[in-house]
Amino acid sequence: MNLFICIDDTDDLDSIGTGELLENMRDAAAAQGLGEGGFIVRYQLLIDDAIPYTSHNSSMCCTFRTDDRDALTAFCRAYLETHCADGSDPGLCILTDDPAVDCAPLAAFGARAQTEVVTKRDAYDAAEAFGVDVSLSEHGGTGDGVIGALAGAGLRAGKAEGKIKGKLYPLPDRPVMTAEAFAALYGVGQIVDDAGQPLDPSTQLHFTEPTKALFRDGKVTCVVVREDGVLKPQPKRKKEKRHV
Amino acid sequence: MFDLVDGKAVWQGGREDYEKAAEAASACGHFRADCEEERIDDDVSCYNCRYRRWTRGSFVCMKGGNA
Repeated sequence: MNLFICIDDTDDLDSIGTGELLENMRDAAAAQGLGEGGFIVRYQLLIDDAIPYTSHNSSMCCTFRTDDRDALTAFCRAYLETHCADGSDPGLCILTDDPAVDCAPLAAFGARAQTEVVTKRDAYDAAEAFGVDVSLSEHGGTGDGVIGALAGAGLRAGKAEGKIKGKLYPLPDRPVMTAEAFAALYGVGQIVDDAGQPLDPSTQLHFTEPTKALFRDGKVTCVVVREDGVLKPQPKRKKEKRHV
Repeated sequence: MFDLVDGKAVWQGGREDYEKAAEAASACGHFRADCEEERIDDDVSCYNCRYRRWTRGSFVCMKGGNA
């Protein structure tokens, strides 16, 4: 079966981030023979003084294909117990990734967590109302991480847009290729311009600087921009320096 | 570059004063780059420091704004 695994509030100012911890946990679960993990999507949740986040209030969600949900769940819970930062408030959500299941209620909860302050009680109520395909668990501190964990899983299941962890790097010996070749080489599901319009597969791309992929419309998405007369995957580079 | 508000060092420049944030981070002994997915770019900047805590309009330096 396919699952979403989402965690939140696992870090402190000096520990590894939640994204890296999820990456490590996903890879450790795979190494244990529990299945195979997919890419990680970051979701930005609400920034508000009423929320006790560490520094940016984002949650991280990956997919995982497994034959043994119970064993995977137990593994993730034990992993969080031993790897989260002291003093953090970790939460874990495991949700069935099934296109036949209407995840709109959980996606709506996720959207709420991006725009208003929601409580742990709200999270448990939303999970309980949704049913048996979702599990929440707390792994230290206040356990408030279940809020972001459920929110991130709901957003991912609802195909909400988020940033994919990591970058895509160019191949030095292949700076120019068609959009179709780029998509095949990097596992990209859609390539769009900065207005969101899809590119013709035969379009030539100049890929010479690392780029970030997005999760958009349920697909790994690359945005291209026109610079110096050519189309290139949007580089993640220094912001234009200016005073405000 | 920081205001002390309720004991917290609040950055005066909001979220887009990239030049000043780069200057401040370059002069700060506490700067440590946050993980890639949480940085706005790869610059040495308070905006990319793991010790900045975002607020609605700016950030708080968790090292007290020692820059």
